[in-house]
Amino acid sequence: MHIRHVDDLLSVAASSPVDAQAIAAHLHDSAEWLEVVPGIDSVVVRYDAARIDVDTAREALNSQLAGGVDPLPESEEVVRIPVVYGGEFGPDLEGLCQDLGISQEAFVQKHTGREYVVDMVGFTPGFAFVGGLDSELEVPRRKDPRQRVAAGSIAIAGGRTGMYAVASPGGWNLVGRTPFALFDARAANPFPIRAGTRIRYYSIPADEFNA
Amino acid sequence: MSIEVLKPGLQTTIQAGPRTGWRHLGVPASGAADPLSLALANKLVGNPWNAPALEATLLGPTLRFNRPTAFAITGAIAGIALNGDDVALHETTFAEAGDQLEVGATEIGARTYIAIAGGFAADDVLGSTSTYLAAGFGGLQGRALDEGDLLATSPMECPALSTPEECRVPMSPSWALRACPGFEADQLEDRDDLFERNWVIGRRADRIGIQLEGGSLEIASDGRMPSAAVFPGTVQCPESGIPYLLSVDAGTVGGYPRVAQVARADRHLLGQLRPGDRLRFLRREVADAIDELRAKLDYWRPWLEDIGNII
Repeated sequence: MHIRHVDDLLSVAASSPVDAQAIAAHLHDSAEWLEVVPGIDSVVVRYDAARIDVDTAREALNSQLAGGVDPLPESEEVVRIPVVYGGEFGPDLEGLCQDLGISQEAFVQKHTGREYVVDMVGFTPGFAFVGGLDSELEVPRRKDPRQRVAAGSIAIAGGRTGMYAVASPGGWNLVGRTPFALFDARAANPFPIRAGTRIRYYSIPADEFNA
Repeated sequence: MSIEVLKPGLQTTIQAGPRTGWRHLGVPASGAADPLSLALANKLVGNPWNAPALEATLLGPTLRFNRPTAFAITGAIAGIALNGDDVALHETTFAEAGDQLEVGATEIGARTYIAIAGGFAADDVLGSTSTYLAAGFGGLQGRALDEGDLLATSPMECPALSTPEECRVPMSPSWALRACPGFEADQLEDRDDLFERNWVIGRRADRIGIQLEGGSLEIASDGRMPSAAVFPGTVQCPESGIPYLLSVDAGTVGGYPRVAQVARADRHLLGQLRPGDRLRFLRREVADAIDELRAKLDYWRPWLEDIGNII
C-alpha cells in the first residue's frame, strides 16, 4: 500500500479511476475520515489532526485497505444525454475538427457512436469526467482556459469528455451543450450522474435546446 | 423581522460553517473564508459558532435594522458607524429599529463578519447554509446581497460581550503561513524556492483562490497530471510556474501539481489575504505542523470551546 502524507491529508495510489472509486466507497463507510476524495489515480482522505497523529492515521488507512476492496457494482441504466453540437453551443468544435482533419458531422458521429462510463465526478458540483473517448479525438486542454464556461457545456480533453454541470472557469475544448440538468441542488437526487454511470450522447438541433 | 440592504458592498454573502462530506461529488466547503472571525462574531451575540452571518469583502454593506437587534463585527479592520457614530470591532452592539449600520472599506485584512443575535435566515443546501456563488445555492438564493434585499431575522436577546484582547486575531498587510511541501513538490526544480521568496497577493484573489505574484517557479510538468483531490490551502503550480493558492470555494480536484499545503492551523487566514499584501510560506514538517495546531487549539479553547471544529 503506497500512502503519502501532507499535513492532515493522506494520499493512496489507485490503479485506475474504477479502482479509485472502489477505494473511496470503501473508506466512506468508516467514520475515521473528515473527507474522502477520489481522483483519477489516487484517493485522498483528510484526518482530524486535532485528535490523531499522522502515524496513527496512516496505520488506520493501511489496515482499512489491507484486505482489498470490493469492486463497485456496474450500473445497469444508460443515461441518454441530448447535445447541441457546434456553433455557439460548442465554440471550439470547428477549430478542433480542422486540427483533427475531420468534418463536424464525422465528429458528432464518432462522439454519439459509442457508450461511455463516468470515471469520476468532481471539481465543481456534478462535473463529470467521462472516459472512453475515441482515441482519434484525443486533444490536450486549451492553452488559454476560459474564465467562464456555461453550465451544461460538453467538452473534450485528454481522452475524456467533460460535462460542466455548473458554470465555472474551464480549460477543456467546448464541443456542445446539453439542456439535461447534470446537477440540481434542490432536486431529490441532486447528482443524477455519478462515477460508474453509463452515458450515451445524441445530437439535437439548436432549436430543441430550450424545448 | 428583517434587515434592509441599503448598499450591498463589493461582495457580501451569507456564510456559516463549511459544507462537509460532498467533496467526492465536486461540492466545495464554502463557508466563511475566515471561519475563526465568523466564530468570534457569533460568540459575541450568543449564537453557535457556525450560525449564518454576513461576510463582507473589502467594502462592506450599509444596512437598516427594522427592529431592535444585537450585532457584532469582527475580522478585517474597517471603519464602522451606526447612525454616524463609530462602532468598535469585537464588541456586542445594540441597534434600535430604524438604525443604519455602515461598514466601510477594510483598511487591513480583506473580510469582515457581521453576526446578529439569532442569526440570518438562509437556504440550507447539502447540510450547510453557506453561499456557494459559483453554483448559485445556499445563503440568500445562492447569490451576493443586492440593494433592496430584505434579510429575514429572528432577533434574540443576548448579553454584551467583548472579545478578550488576546483573542483578537491580528490583521496585517504581511502574512506568514505555515505550510508543508505538497504531493507534487518534487516536480519543482528547487523545493525550497516557494519558501524562500517574498510573495505578493495578486489582483485575482477571491473565495475560489489567490494568485501569487513574485516570479514564477521552475516546474517540470507536462500538463498531463491526472486530476487529484485539492483542498483549501493547496498551492497549485501550473506550467506557467505562477502559484495559485486555493481557498474555500475552489474546485475539489485539479490537474496541476500540488506543490504545498497551508497547514490546518493557519488556513483560517486565507480569507484575510488581500491584493497587495505580502506573504511568506514557513516550511513545516508534518509532525511539527500538527503539534503547532494542537497548541493553537489549546490557546483558543477557553474562549471558543468548539475551536477544534472551527479551524
